[in-house]
Amino acid sequence: MRHLLVPGAAFALLTALGELLVASVDLLPLNPAMAREAVVSDDALRLLFALAVPVGAFTLAALLYGIWAFRRRGDPAEDGPPLRGHRAVTVAWLVVTTALCLVVIVNPGITGLAAMAQSGDADLVVGIAAQRWSFSSSYPQHGVTKAKELVLPVNRRVRLELTAVDVVHGVWIPAFRVKKDAVPGITTAMYVTPTRLGSSDGAVNLRMQCSQLCGLAHSTMTMPVRVVTDAEFQAWVARNKG
Amino acid sequence: MSALIRAIAWGVVGSVLGAAAVVIVRAATGQDLLDFGQVTLAAYPLGLAGWLLGIGVWDQWAREWFGLPLRHVPPHGWRRYFAFTQDHKVIGIQYLVTFTVLLLLAGLFAMLIRIQLLRPSGALLDMNQYNTVMGWHGIVMIAVAVAMVMGGFANFVVPLLIGARDVAFPRVNALSYWLVPPVAVLLLLAFLAGGWDSGWTAYPPLATVNADGQLLFNLAIVTFGLSSILGGLNFIVTIATLRAPGMTWGRVPIFVWSVLAASLLSFTVTQFLAAAMIMEILDRVAGASFFNAAQGGAPLLYQHVFWFYSHPAVYIMVLPGMGIVLEILSHFSRKPLFAYRVAVAGFLGIVALSGIVWAHHLFVAGIGDEMLLPFMITTELISIPTGLVFLSALGTIWLGKLWLRTPMLFALGFVFNFLIGGLTGITLADVPTDMDLNNTYWVVAHFHYTIMGGEVFAIMAALYYWFPKITGRMFNETLGKIHFWWMFLAFNATFLLMFWVGLNGMNRRIASYPPELTGANQVVSAFSFALGASFLVFIVNLVWSWARGPRAAADPWHARTLEWQVPSPPPEENFPRAPEVIGHPYDYGVTGAAHAAFAAPAEGGGTR
Repeated sequence: MRHLLVPGAAFALLTALGELLVASVDLLPLNPAMAREAVVSDDALRLLFALAVPVGAFTLAALLYGIWAFRRRGDPAEDGPPLRGHRAVTVAWLVVTTALCLVVIVNPGITGLAAMAQSGDADLVVGIAAQRWSFSSSYPQHGVTKAKELVLPVNRRVRLELTAVDVVHGVWIPAFRVKKDAVPGITTAMYVTPTRLGSSDGAVNLRMQCSQLCGLAHSTMTMPVRVVTDAEFQAWVARNKG
Repeated sequence: MSALIRAIAWGVVGSVLGAAAVVIVRAATGQDLLDFGQVTLAAYPLGLAGWLLGIGVWDQWAREWFGLPLRHVPPHGWRRYFAFTQDHKVIGIQYLVTFTVLLLLAGLFAMLIRIQLLRPSGALLDMNQYNTVMGWHGIVMIAVAVAMVMGGFANFVVPLLIGARDVAFPRVNALSYWLVPPVAVLLLLAFLAGGWDSGWTAYPPLATVNADGQLLFNLAIVTFGLSSILGGLNFIVTIATLRAPGMTWGRVPIFVWSVLAASLLSFTVTQFLAAAMIMEILDRVAGASFFNAAQGGAPLLYQHVFWFYSHPAVYIMVLPGMGIVLEILSHFSRKPLFAYRVAVAGFLGIVALSGIVWAHHLFVAGIGDEMLLPFMITTELISIPTGLVFLSALGTIWLGKLWLRTPMLFALGFVFNFLIGGLTGITLADVPTDMDLNNTYWVVAHFHYTIMGGEVFAIMAALYYWFPKITGRMFNETLGKIHFWWMFLAFNATFLLMFWVGLNGMNRRIASYPPELTGANQVVSAFSFALGASFLVFIVNLVWSWARGPRAAADPWHARTLEWQVPSPPPEENFPRAPEVIGHPYDYGVTGAAHAAFAAPAEGGGTR
């Protein structure tokens, strides 16, 4: 009985502690969410952590209690009980792990996939051209081409259309939590809705960074990103037209 | 040694003949004499053939194709290790020593990476050096992870565990090993040929247009793949046909099951890796345009073919690791392996699922949206068979009499580390979180938890566990325990913090990073140096104990499996008295149970 109560208590304690940490600690202090998609991603991450905590706590409690309670000093003088298996435990284990797996598939899996909404119409279309080792942006609806920064109006849904001319690149904006590869020969797309004003100067992770190894200067392949008001966006477009 | 010198000489002659042929043809057709790609493609296969024929394929194998008598005088003593020796135990030691050296070398490269990342602008290397060092660390560690257990421990131990005289195809086995040195030579030569800047994944079109070092990388991987396929074939046949009388499938030790599971994978999926490499070679040297979009090629095609091998490959690495851990947990808990059949089902479930999850590496690569959901589901389903392995591990130690010797500590460390590796992996199977975490340091931390915290800890467990059997000597237990605790703590400190670095905006494979992440990277680096230093304890213990350690008894762990029922080290014929299996390998605590009986000495001689 002791072998059930003590690890059971440890499991409960570790779970409570873990859930408390997941709920209270900001694991991304340098990387606040700055887009609708980032909130979806962060919520999914927190949910996965919350689901992982009891699984980890159970395994840890069993493992650590097992080591502590069943350890022996010196050479093994005797064998343990000849316990080859336990049908009920195995069935219960299989049922619980399968159920957990199905939960994760449905939520945040299927629900998150829908919430990320990476298809359909957008308020603004921006082309991102990747080439070793720089990005450029173009705004076909506004006649802006080959800009050396990404400027987006706040709270507008944007489709980024990605192309690469030489090798595979990756377009990642950490503060938005979205990335997609830019592949020679095809156009790929990702959708983002920035929700907070800011610029690369103030927010280190509001930057476009190449996320797919592209050779020599891959590390330094970045482009500044700014999220501005509608009025500032219109002014920027007017200045950069032509 | 004479065979080794002849192998090198024939290898050089072959290479020169191949190169000369290309130069002559180019001269005759009025082109520039030298073309690195064409010369290499002609020189390497002939050089490789010369090397293999010289080391022993000619004397021990090919002569009979021409009606000539074989010339096989097996060398004795240390010379066996430098020859085309067919004894599985010698080949196992050849693999183990070779890949331990490669493990340490690639570990030094990891130290270079961490020195570089002490400063946000890079502290040591220029960008091309960094890319090559990072790629070298990656591919050599992958090779170590694939071959250390499957080539080393599986070779030494599996025939003993199943009561066999040797593997099914001893010459194929020797061939598998002697294909490895050319791989290491090619990867080292790649540094001289401009390095390669595409990492171990070698995505095209980059990998078809970059420096010449890439071609040597591609040829190395094709060669290594061949070695891996032949090894898989050999173990499948060995385990299927050479088990001792009475060793039914229900009595096969769990490590043997795991090697069979991994062999099924390496025998059936490695071809895809070789195909991907050969297509890149043809794009580079012959303008084949498999992956050249301007000529109708598809860069994404490579990624599918590559990961069709490379995801199952992580199970080629980790399945035998799980086998080792369950094996050790049972012997050192003095209890039968809990839910043995369920654990075997877990292994086979992992094998089955591993072939249909590859596209999770491509969630953000530009594949169709229709692929996301099915591959998210299949990937997350793998947690179910993996969970069965955890059930077996925890059930085995429960109520046991735990004997916390060094091998047991590493096996328990595996369970802890793999738990973290598994739980963090779910965030990469989930599309919404993977869109951010893909290709960040979160991924780096995750796969180091599974491959280093998992498989390398299992390798260490196996090294200490079978060290007495392999060398005939005991290691120093105190140094072993110091090694475990030092490595375990330093490992977790290094890679736990790496998760945080990834969450906060650091992508992988970069030689420089935003200054805001400097502090965290310096702490990671400091702990990584401690992790690297822990291997010094390991080397000292290994080398000193092998030379001077006390003689080991036949069965220092009081374990029941067959390898412990013969002297340490085992005699050349393995079993002086033929074993007959009469019970389960893990029947600890069962009164009167026995795993095997041995024939009377008069009948002995190991005819199998």
